[in-house]
Amino acid sequence: MKVLLIEDNEELASSISEFLGREGYICEVSYNITDAQDKLISFQYDCVLLDIMLPDGNGLQILSFLRTERIQSSVLILSAKNSLDDKIVGLEEGADDYLTKPFHLPELHARLRAIYRRKKLNGSNIIAFNEISLNIDTLEATVNGQLLDMTRKEFDLLLYFVVNKNRVLSRQSIAAHLWGDYTDNFANFDFVYQHVKNIRKKISAANGTDYIGTVYGLGYKFNTSKQ
Amino acid sequence: MKLVDKFTLWFLGITMIIIPINSVITYYSIKREIDRSAVERLKHVNVRVAEQIGKGQPPGEYTAGCRVLFAKTDTAFAADHYVITERDVTQDPLLNDNDRKIIVTSYHNIHDQYYRITSGDYVSRSEQILAGLRISIMWKLIILIALVVLTARVASRVVLTPFYGTIKKLQHFNLKAKKRLVLPETRTKEFKDLNLFVKKMTDKAVDDYSSLKEFSENASHELQTPLAIIRSKLELLSESDIQGDQAILIADMNNAVEKLTRINRSLILLSRLENNEYEATEEVPFDQYTKDALAAFCELIALKELTVKSNIEEPVCLRLHASLADILLNNLLSNAIRHNMPGGTIEVILNREFLMVKNTGKAPDGPIDDMFQRFKKGSQCNNSIGIGLSIVKQICDMNSFEIQYHYTSGLHILIVNFPPETDSSKLLQNDERYLHERIQL
Repeated sequence: MKVLLIEDNEELASSISEFLGREGYICEVSYNITDAQDKLISFQYDCVLLDIMLPDGNGLQILSFLRTERIQSSVLILSAKNSLDDKIVGLEEGADDYLTKPFHLPELHARLRAIYRRKKLNGSNIIAFNEISLNIDTLEATVNGQLLDMTRKEFDLLLYFVVNKNRVLSRQSIAAHLWGDYTDNFANFDFVYQHVKNIRKKISAANGTDYIGTVYGLGYKFNTSKQ
Repeated sequence: MKLVDKFTLWFLGITMIIIPINSVITYYSIKREIDRSAVERLKHVNVRVAEQIGKGQPPGEYTAGCRVLFAKTDTAFAADHYVITERDVTQDPLLNDNDRKIIVTSYHNIHDQYYRITSGDYVSRSEQILAGLRISIMWKLIILIALVVLTARVASRVVLTPFYGTIKKLQHFNLKAKKRLVLPETRTKEFKDLNLFVKKMTDKAVDDYSSLKEFSENASHELQTPLAIIRSKLELLSESDIQGDQAILIADMNNAVEKLTRINRSLILLSRLENNEYEATEEVPFDQYTKDALAAFCELIALKELTVKSNIEEPVCLRLHASLADILLNNLLSNAIRHNMPGGTIEVILNREFLMVKNTGKAPDGPIDDMFQRFKKGSQCNNSIGIGLSIVKQICDMNSFEIQYHYTSGLHILIVNFPPETDSSKLLQNDERYLHERIQL
């Protein structure tokens, strides 16, 4: 999957492109609108990661540029300014999703994957890994063909794990993924632990492999090398 | 006491002092004037009598309506020597009236013979003058007081119009609206000074406020990118080969970044609330939101072994932005969960008048009034940032909800009172009218 990252902050851009590179994305970076427009005309990208505040203008310009040039890339807006107007305007102008800085890299990855699924894999709504299979339309999870009795949150969490395979997922990132931005409650991460415990129990009960492991001090990891 | 009443009283007080003084002065000056003219006239009579004597015609007893006596005398006086005597003639049996008599005696040298000529006349007595004065003063006073009382209010309304205009503007002045004050024009110097001063002060306040706000907003936004960098670098770092104690360090940093992020987001939310970015455009089904919020927290509630009782009336529709309804409920419920004890209870009651959240928990150790302030939190809870309730308060203030908190018999009780069914704009109108009435005279 080829991604164009339009972000004027070089440190952040390098973090994002390094992370996405490890996930097998081909990630190119533009630091301003002019350069981005050149790249968008010359090459084809599956997705554009777009910062709103850029040195030579507003990132929303890129959205109209994409429309006039009839470029079919998906757009994920990354903005420091999480004002409601920007979000609404961005989505109305054709962006596919909106992520507010500071975000967790695994969250970015999950959103990118979701956009990619919606755009490219028309109709296919099953995400599978070995014996685990997740239907994102019906929110049903099966292990070895056996349906798991899962809550919505547990399904979301398992999906987050499967998408971010072999990544360390911090409790903070999981909490933000499940509960959103404005929850002041979850510095206490007991409940993340509880959810992870439940998922592992349910997968094991269906004779699935216990891929999810604890990373000491940091969080959890969906470890594909486990047998 | 109103300004106009004070002025009226002051004016009446002065009048009360001045009128007696004035009447004494008038009394004496009229009396002096009457006496002077009588004396003048009698002197004239004496001179005429003297002339007559000089011509050899003896004058009658009455000349020019005055009784005249003359006699030869040896005493020599200067020609213009007059002796003036006055006496009351109450006891005069002939007159039998309260009159006063003025007698002028003069000496004349006629053909080397000195004559003493005495003439007298009756003038008004002082009491009579006084009686006349008294009536006129009474009338003067009555008319004065009546006119002052009747016209003072009208006059003050006219004169003080610019003042009331300024006060009204000030009462409606809202720093958060960031609008400069436009004051009514006036030609009165004092009001000009006042307006100038008020304008200078409010303009400065508006400028300071907006620059402060701009600063804090910019600061919050500028912090987002560095936070994103720190967080992403930490995430990349935790992917690398990490030893046990390094992992603990990273985890601590993660926690700190998380907290910083949350504080920053909350501050941005607060400033956006103050900017009225979340204007309620339609009614939301608040009962449904409450149920959803309870459902979202059910896992956490189960984890903390809490019992939930809910009594949610349907339908409850509120004029509130959908995001704010979520944030309000999330903050209230997460507070009720956080400040609870294992095995405790939470009770949620919702109806058209209020939303009540009751939960068991330790008594608050700080003053209750501080609860809604930013970063004031009970000491028993370290893992909150202490901004949730202040967001709740802000949301309530923006939507004219009223929030109350008490702690009774081991229960924290938070009540959000919704405005009554009447349209909120109508309510505002009434308020304005009330205000208007109050600042009128």
